[in-house]
Order: sequence, then C-alpha cells, then structure tokens
Amino acid sequence: MDLHILEHRVRVLSLARRGLWLYTHPLLKLLFLPQRCRCKFFSLTETPEDYTIMLDEEGFKELPPSEFMQVADSTWLVLSVVSNGRAPSGCQATGVTKIARSVIAPLAEHHVSVLMLSTYQTDFILVRERDLPVVIHTLAGEFDIYKEENGESIPVPCDDTTNGFLKPKSASSPTLHPVQSPQNRFCILTVAPDTLPAIATMLIDVLFYSHGPPKEPGAGDLDSITFFSFSLIEGYISIVMDAETQKRFPSDLLLTSSSGELWRMVRIGGQPLGFDECGIVAQIAEPLAAVDISAYYISTFNFDHALVPEEGITEVIELLQKRQESGR
Amino acid sequence: MSGSKPDILWAPHHVDRFVVCDSELSLYHIESAVSSELKAGSLRLSEETTATLLSINSDTPYMKCVAWYPKYDPECLLAVGQANGRVVLTSLGQDHNSKSKDLIGKEFVPKHARQCNTLAWNPLDSNWLAAGLDKHRADFSVLIWDISSKYAPETAVAAEKVRLSTGDPEAGLVVTKPLYELGQNDACLSLCWLPRDQKLLLAGMHRNLAIFDLRNTSQKIFVNTKAVQGVTVDPYFHDRVASFYEGQVAIWDLRKFEKPVLTLTEQPKPLTKVAWCPTRTGLLATLTRDSNIIRLYDMQHTPTPIGDETEPTIIERSVQPCENYIASFAWHPTSQNRMVVVTPNRTMSDFTVFERISLAWSPVTSLMWACGRHLYECTEEGKASSLEKDIATKMRLRALSRWFRCQVCLFQLGYMQLSASAVARRTEIKYSEFTQYISSEILFGKVTMYEGDLNLNVVAMALSGYTDEKNSLWREMCSTLRLQLNNPYLCAMFAFLTSESGSYDGVLYENNMAVRDRVAFACKFLNDAQLNRFIEKLTNEMKDAGNLEGILLTGLTKDGVDLMESYVDRTGDVQTASYCMLQGSPSEVLKDERVQYWIENYRNLLDAWRFWHKRAEFDIHRSKLDPSSKPLAQVFVSCNFCGKSISYSCSAIPHQGRGFSQYGVSGSPTKSKVTSCPGCRGSKSDEKVDLSKDKKLAQFNNWFTWCHNCRHGGHAGHMLSWFSFILHVFPFYLLSLSRDHTECPVSACSCKCMQLDTTGNLIPAETVQV
Repeated sequence: MDLHILEHRVRVLSLARRGLWLYTHPLLKLLFLPQRCRCKFFSLTETPEDYTIMLDEEGFKELPPSEFMQVADSTWLVLSVVSNGRAPSGCQATGVTKIARSVIAPLAEHHVSVLMLSTYQTDFILVRERDLPVVIHTLAGEFDIYKEENGESIPVPCDDTTNGFLKPKSASSPTLHPVQSPQNRFCILTVAPDTLPAIATMLIDVLFYSHGPPKEPGAGDLDSITFFSFSLIEGYISIVMDAETQKRFPSDLLLTSSSGELWRMVRIGGQPLGFDECGIVAQIAEPLAAVDISAYYISTFNFDHALVPEEGITEVIELLQKRQESGR
Repeated sequence: MSGSKPDILWAPHHVDRFVVCDSELSLYHIESAVSSELKAGSLRLSEETTATLLSINSDTPYMKCVAWYPKYDPECLLAVGQANGRVVLTSLGQDHNSKSKDLIGKEFVPKHARQCNTLAWNPLDSNWLAAGLDKHRADFSVLIWDISSKYAPETAVAAEKVRLSTGDPEAGLVVTKPLYELGQNDACLSLCWLPRDQKLLLAGMHRNLAIFDLRNTSQKIFVNTKAVQGVTVDPYFHDRVASFYEGQVAIWDLRKFEKPVLTLTEQPKPLTKVAWCPTRTGLLATLTRDSNIIRLYDMQHTPTPIGDETEPTIIERSVQPCENYIASFAWHPTSQNRMVVVTPNRTMSDFTVFERISLAWSPVTSLMWACGRHLYECTEEGKASSLEKDIATKMRLRALSRWFRCQVCLFQLGYMQLSASAVARRTEIKYSEFTQYISSEILFGKVTMYEGDLNLNVVAMALSGYTDEKNSLWREMCSTLRLQLNNPYLCAMFAFLTSESGSYDGVLYENNMAVRDRVAFACKFLNDAQLNRFIEKLTNEMKDAGNLEGILLTGLTKDGVDLMESYVDRTGDVQTASYCMLQGSPSEVLKDERVQYWIENYRNLLDAWRFWHKRAEFDIHRSKLDPSSKPLAQVFVSCNFCGKSISYSCSAIPHQGRGFSQYGVSGSPTKSKVTSCPGCRGSKSDEKVDLSKDKKLAQFNNWFTWCHNCRHGGHAGHMLSWFSFILHVFPFYLLSLSRDHTECPVSACSCKCMQLDTTGNLIPAETVQV
C-alpha cells in the first residue's frame, strides 16, 4: 500500500452561524466557482453549533478574518492511502475501517492527533504539519510513502534514526468520550461537476436558509441533528445530507450507490474535543474494524461524526457502549 | 459530450455511416454527391460527399462516452456511458435482428454511481465491455461487463431496489454483477484493450498508467505518470501506445514501460483527442481545445524500438479542415487517411489528409511519385528524336555498345594526324608544293567528305582560273563568293587562295573546319611567334567552348581537364569525360577531384541503370589504367591454425574489421601449389586447405569450400562425401542415417555446418539415383 502526502496545506476553521452573512460571497465562490479561486481542497460541514470549513491556503485567503471565525492554530497536511490494487480483496468493509488498523491506530499510539474527512471518493487523514516526521517514521514500515509535488509523486526517504521524541510515550488510556446517535438517516452522494449548477439554488437554500433556530447543544438523546457536509476536493464533489433533505433534490442528478443505502450517525464528544487530543478516531474506528463494519468519518471543529450503515447502528452502539463500560 | 461538445464516431463496418453524439445520438448516412444539387435534407460535407440524417436517439440522457459495437452484426449497437456510471446498450435505426433485440436497453449498473469516463469493447471477445469510472472510496473504477450475461435472480432483487430509488422502468434488463472489477479506490480516465491478448487491458488511472492482466487480477504493471488521458494503441504496432496530459502527448513502448519513449512538442492548449490513423502506419492525429487545426505526427520512419541514443524523426504537420473550431474528429476505418470532423455547432466536414508526396527520377527518362498507397509513373511522351537527343539516352546506348573503344581509337588517330602535320612543318615544304598539297591531299580530301548537292566540277572550273595576280577579277570574285559556299573546306580553300600572303585568318578562324586541320595549316604557314599565339588563342577558345577537339591541343593535362569541365557543364556527358580522363597518364590528372567525381558519377549511373557488367568492365578498364583505383580484396581465406589470411595479394593494406592480418607473400606467384599455410609454414599436415593455383577451371569437386560459421573447409567433393557419407554407402537408410555426420569434420569442432546451409539439406539429384 502507498501513502500519499498531498500538496494541500489545509487550515481548519469554525464559522459561527450568526457571522454567516459576512462570508456568503466567498463561500459561494468556493462552492460553485472553483475556477475563480485556485482552491483545490474545500470542505464545508454544517453542524448544529457552527460551520466547519477545511480549505487550503489559496482558499483561506478568500475569507476575511472576523470575530465570527475561529481558526485552528496549525497547518494541516492531507494523507491519502492508495491501495494500488494490492490490497487484500477479501475484506468487505470500506472507508475508515480499512485504514483504521494500518494508519489510525499507529498514529494514536505515537500521539499524533488526526482529523478525518471521508468523502464519496476516498478518505483523507489530516495531520499537523509539525507532526509529519513522526507520521513518516511511524508509517514507513507499513507503507511506501510518496510526497506529491506539482502533480508528481516523489518517494519520501525514511531515515531509521530514532530521535528521542519519536519514542512512544507511556500509553495512557485515552479519554473515553460519550457517543450519541441521532435518529435521522443520511445519504452519501456525489454530483457530476458539470451538473452542479443545476442544483446550485437548492444547495444554497439547504446550506444557508433552511435551518431552524439553533438547538441547545448536548440536549440529551437527540431526535435529529442538523448536519450537512459538502466537499469539493480536486474537482470531485461529495455531499452528506439528511435523507429528508435529499428528497428536495432532483433524483437523477444526485449519484449514489445503486443499493440506495442509508447511514446513521454516531456523534462523538459531549464537550468540544479540541485538536490536541489523540486517539479519538482510533477509539471509534478500531472497534468497528474489529467487527468489519464499514464507516464514514467526518471531523469538525468541535465534534467528530461517524456514519455507519443503518442496519449496523444497534450493533455499533452496543459495541461502543461496551467499550465505555470496559473503559471505566 | 454532454452540453455543447459533440463527438463523432464512424461505424466500424458499415463504412458509409457515422454517429454524432452530444445530448442525443444522430446517425448519418454519407454518400457521394452525384449532382451538384443537394437533395432535400442532406448536408454537404465536402465537394464530393453529402450526409443524410437517418435517425436520432435521445433515450440516453447524461451521456459521457459512446463506443460502437465492434462486430459486423448487429449493425448499430452502441454502448453509452452515462454521468451516473451506468452503461446502456442502445441502437439507432431499424434493426430487426433478434440478437440486438436482446441486447438493446440492457443496463450495466455499478454499485456506486459516479461518472463513466470511458468505454472500450474488447476487440477479440465482443461480449466484453470495459467501463472506466471516477473514483469511489470503496468501489472499483474499472468494470468489465459481459453483455451476454443474463441477470441473476439475486441481482433482480438489487434491481428492484434500483427501481425504487431511481424509478427505472426496465428493471429486468439491469445487470449489476461485472465480470471483473479492477482498480479499487482509484479513478479510471481512459481505457484500451491491448491487441496482444484478449485479457490485457491498459488503463489510464489517477496519476498512473496500468496494465491489468485478467488472468491474474491481483497483478498489474503500472507506471506513475500524469499522461493518463486518452490511452490508445497503435493499430500497426501493438507495443506502441499514446496518451496525453494537458497539452502534451506521450508515446510509450509497452516493452519499455518505465518512461515514455518520446513526448511530442507541448501544445499551448489542452488536448481533447488523440487518435492513430487506422489506415496508415504511425500517423497520429491530435486535437486541442478551441482550435481549427488537427495536428498530425508521422512516426512512420521513427526507428522501433526506439533507443535512447537515436534522435527520433517525427514529421509534424497540421491540417485545417474548416474555418470553425473543431469539437471532435474521427478517422475513417478503411478509406485511406480520410477523416470527418464536427464543429461545436454540429456542422461536419469530410476530408482526406493528403500524404506528403515523394518524387524520384528514374535514370531512364521517367518520373515517379508516391502519394499514400498510390504510385504514379510519368513517362515522357515526346518524339523519339527528343529522347535520342537526351544525353542520358545517348550515354546509355553508348554504354551498351562498345562505344568507348571507338572513341579511344578516334583520339589516338587524332594524335597521329596532329603529329604528322607537325612533322610536315619541320620538313619546310615549298610554298607551291603546299598549294598543291593542301588543295589535293588535305582539303580536297575533306571536300569530298561534304558532298552535298555541290557540283565539284564547278569548283574545279573556278579553281582553274587561279592566278597569282593580286588585283585580278578572279580573286575579287572568289573572295566575295566564297562566303556563300556551305562547305567550310572549300570556303577555306578559296580564302587561302585569295588571301594576302601572311594573312590566313580566313582559314585559321574557319570554325567549321576540324581543329586538327586548322592546326596543321597553322604549322605550315605561320611563323613561330604567330603559331604560338594562334595555338594559345585556339586552346583558350576550345577550353571555353568545351570543344572536345581541343583535347588535341591541350592533351590530357590540367588544361584538358579544364576543357573537359566546360564540356561536361555543357552536355552532362560524364561518360566521355571518364573515358578520356582515364587515358591521361599523368597521375595528377586522375587525382584531380573533378576527374574522380566524373568517374564516380559515371559508375553510379551505370549502377543506376543496373548495368552491373558494364560497370565491372569499366572498373577493370579503369584499374588497368589507374592502378590506385584497384578495389580492396573482399574475400579472404584464412588458415584455421594461425588465423592469418592466405593470400597472394600484394596489397599491403590490411583488411579492417576482421582479426587476421594481411599476409603478403614475397615469393614468385608462379609457384604452382601451396599445400600448407604460408603463415605458419605448414607444420600441420592435416590442414584442410587446398591452395591449388591451377589456371584452368577446376571441377566442382576440387573447389575449395568452407563453412562461414566455423571457418573450416576443404575440397567440395570431400566435404560433400563427409556430410553424406552413409548416404553413399547405404542408400536405403537415406532418411534415418543420412544425418549421421552433421558436425564439422575437424575434431573437437561441433559446428553443424551442413544444417546451417539451407541448400545442404537438399539431396543432390545424382546421389539419390544411387
């Protein structure tokens, strides 16, 4: 397997709902006119609390700083796993599950904090730029690592010298975060870039106008959650939306799996998680990988969200609850 | 394709049909325009062709790519790749074929919807259709569908679900289980099957080109590159593949797949289509966005396989079929170099890319040119006389006859005459005597040569009136009337008779008289100073005019070469020049580069006429006169013990390229027989070299023969009997035993001499009769 370190240098930020008016123009530009700004990595996720935006530095220039915007301090690099056809094909589980063992768990052991962004097309792992030496050192055994520069993949040499700080610290058991499972069902889909204009108005409506009054965060077992994610990365569009919302779109333009499968959400964290804690993804992904359930994972500024097939939600909840009990 | 940009495809078998596809599929029929008027509803594509719209199919929205079924039947079966990744089989026009009825409407649905980028029918098994899709995090991007597969019951359940989700009315025709799935978690941008094997598929994936082998799907050969668009195999050279990225085309050799063997000059705009010409080897057409030209790259003369060290020769051309921008083009599958282009507003144009014309003169008056697969010959239809006047024809006829001998004789004769007249001058003949001499011997002799309708009796009558008197009427009459005489000798004669003493310009500058006669005259009648001046003047005149008679004055010297140069410049007759100059004994003349140039050109000319024998004769003739031109020995006989050459050649130039040194024998060449190698002095008594130098032609059995491989040999008879030893003794075992001696007779040499010789396997007729 190959691990590619992509060219994008990504900033992660949170936009308060009430400040949305200030950013409408740059956001529309980033959403629908990617050729106007040279942004190649853009992801916008709406949660009940805020809008989380992950975008590369070209795109970041479009957004004026303001009191409504919180920016995570560091620059993040994007990792992508390329199987190159050499992956064992027996495993049915897809997405984060597939790379949980090989990437996420080792990084958690080495105290590297990661953000995940799953799309219709692939999974991206975001790591802090300053953590890159540790990442390379940790994963060099498992992967052939390439760094992409100007579209060419250049092999990254791995020096085996172990600096002191690379040694794993004493494995403190990670903090266990509570999980919640809203009742609404989601679909994961894509749109051909040339048909995006056809759904643009609908998309604007859904993203910016259709939310009700903000619910109080952490209001116990949620009935449903406002969640919408749109990403446009290297020309590929990926959308996660509520199944009810999807009905408002013309069905022939949204592309999804032929089985029409629907997903349920597992929301991780009672309190905002921050960016320094490591092993959050691992504590969800690893148990799921163990039982071969495919998952889809989106990190936002405050919380993490995992999507699992609706048939598997009860099993997942049980599993995660068991983990919490055993953790205690 | 969807939206504004139409694509165009020729029917692979029904060569008068093509399809234009943008938001719908339109089938056109192309026919030659018999009259200048257009039929109703037809479109003019070129001066000779028009197209008629046969039918339109708009059943398949969101088309992304189209591929035409490669077999003859069903005729108009098309596979359409859609924006949601589905592949639909559809048809155009009326087709009542039962096979096609089963197929039309069939849909092949991937597990996860995303754009279908490319389609490719397997050229060997036409049931196989490969589809290349965009990336999905968990799904495969290369799916190979079997169009003949029946939907299985369990997939029918899946199809049920599909119907629910997408409202597809024809769920029964949906196939969801591909034959092969390749390229997980990757994007496929272009595909083509490799003609080498049914199960080899070349795919342009995201940032690499991969060759999938369906016999072992876990294996693939891949190379990282950006040039992954539009992979296409050269139909004439199955290891050559073209792909592109933005403005750059890369050419790959699949046997050397690590990097492109060459990249074509980068275009300023991104490419949209690259296609090999199906009717002509090594011709690649490329089209860029917003361009009204198609650029052609001719790789016919590019060496294959292309080495690193050779600079590939690619001839780049461009054609402009129409004024508008071109949206797409398609080569005609069979008609040579023909192409149809379509513009964004769907106007079409049919044209033929003309080949570059190459032209060659034959050595015998005809002209040849090649254009495409046609060869045109043009022979001059002029009168025979004009052909005969041509110097090439003349030289050719002369070469066939033994012309050069005559020519040489003529020159020798000329020399003799010249020297005779010089002798005559020295003997100081009296004036009156010469009058008699000139009138009777030389001039009158020549006069008779110009017989015409002139009555010589009249001349005799005029002559009889000769008088010494200066101011006589006779002299006055003769000096004016002589100019009316056609015969230069008579004219000169009267000029002489009527001239003032010491002024012979009328004779000396009578250009129609032979040079030798004028010189002879000058020798007799001019004093030394006048003679020298005259000769010098005449020589220069001759040199400038390139008059061959002037050779008598210049001789075959440096001046003679100058004269010959102006002769060759005037006539192109290198034949005469070569023969004449070979006679020149001073070696400086032969060494003159002009002379060598004429000789070489004459030899080339003979070769071009295929007069090999004449050329050989000329070479022999030349080597006799010019020993330095003797060719080097080209066949050597070597001693198999010392490896040295056994040769009597006196040439001291060592033969290059082979290991053995030239051996020069200083002894008498009349030595009748050498039985041992002169290099190692015959210490080996069993040497198989016979150096018999008998002058008479030996029997075949006594010919010396040797194997080119191991360089062992002997008398032909002995060699034959060695290799067919058993054959002679036991003719009945001919088939089984005749192969007993297959190896060289020299001990410890295992060369299979006889088997290497293709004629060695034939049994001589006389042997079989035994």
